[in-house]
Amino acid sequence: MFYLTVLYDSDCGLCKRAHEWLAEQPKMVDLIFVPCASDEARKRYPQLNHELTKNDLTVIRDDGAVYFGPKAWLMVLWALSRYREWAYRLSTPELLPTTKRVVSAISQNRYQISRATGMAR
Amino acid sequence: MTIEITTYLLYLAISVALTIWVARTLHKNGRVFLVDVFHGNEALADSVNHLLVVGFYLINFGYVCMALKLGYDIASPKEGIEALSVKVGWVLIVLGGMHFFNLFVFSRMRRRKTVHGQRPPVGPDEFTPVHQEA
Repeated sequence: MFYLTVLYDSDCGLCKRAHEWLAEQPKMVDLIFVPCASDEARKRYPQLNHELTKNDLTVIRDDGAVYFGPKAWLMVLWALSRYREWAYRLSTPELLPTTKRVVSAISQNRYQISRATGMAR
Repeated sequence: MTIEITTYLLYLAISVALTIWVARTLHKNGRVFLVDVFHGNEALADSVNHLLVVGFYLINFGYVCMALKLGYDIASPKEGIEALSVKVGWVLIVLGGMHFFNLFVFSRMRRRKTVHGQRPPVGPDEFTPVHQEA
């Protein structure tokens, strides 16, 4: 695996901040950021359900494997040299349900969080 | 020989012996960790092991030297033994701290190695064709 394509919401302040942070982190697997449901995304993945990618983070491996929502977050974490262990820790059967709940809650409230923390929508 | 000089000499002898013993233990038992960390590259493991032990010796002997001075007079052998006990006690605690720090370094190096080249934590939800650039 050489890279992961990250489809993120470029309208959301929190996501853009996360994007900036991720760009600076040392990586074991390269991350390519593409705004979700953009022309670029549609061109790269003609058969993907792009409406679905607006709901939550989506990560696509270079072989076409798609990860939605909390799984996508774990894949991004896994790509980072410093946080790979955390990806394994958070995906153990004991912690995975909590991880999914927390991640989904953040995703669903991302505009509110962005506004509340002063990051433009 | 006064009680003070005897105390100092005993302190030095005990501290040096303890330091050498701990360093040898680390050197002998840390090697297998390092060989594993460096993918069986024994030359590199031995080199790093040696460098770690040198650092260990420097810090400990440095501490032993700095802590030699008593700062008060000793009147009786009883006081001499008490002073010796406190001094050696500190050396033991510092050695223990260094020892655990070394173990921490070893285990960290090992963990970093095992984390490399592993499979993704979760399986994909679906597969989608990827548009190939012409």
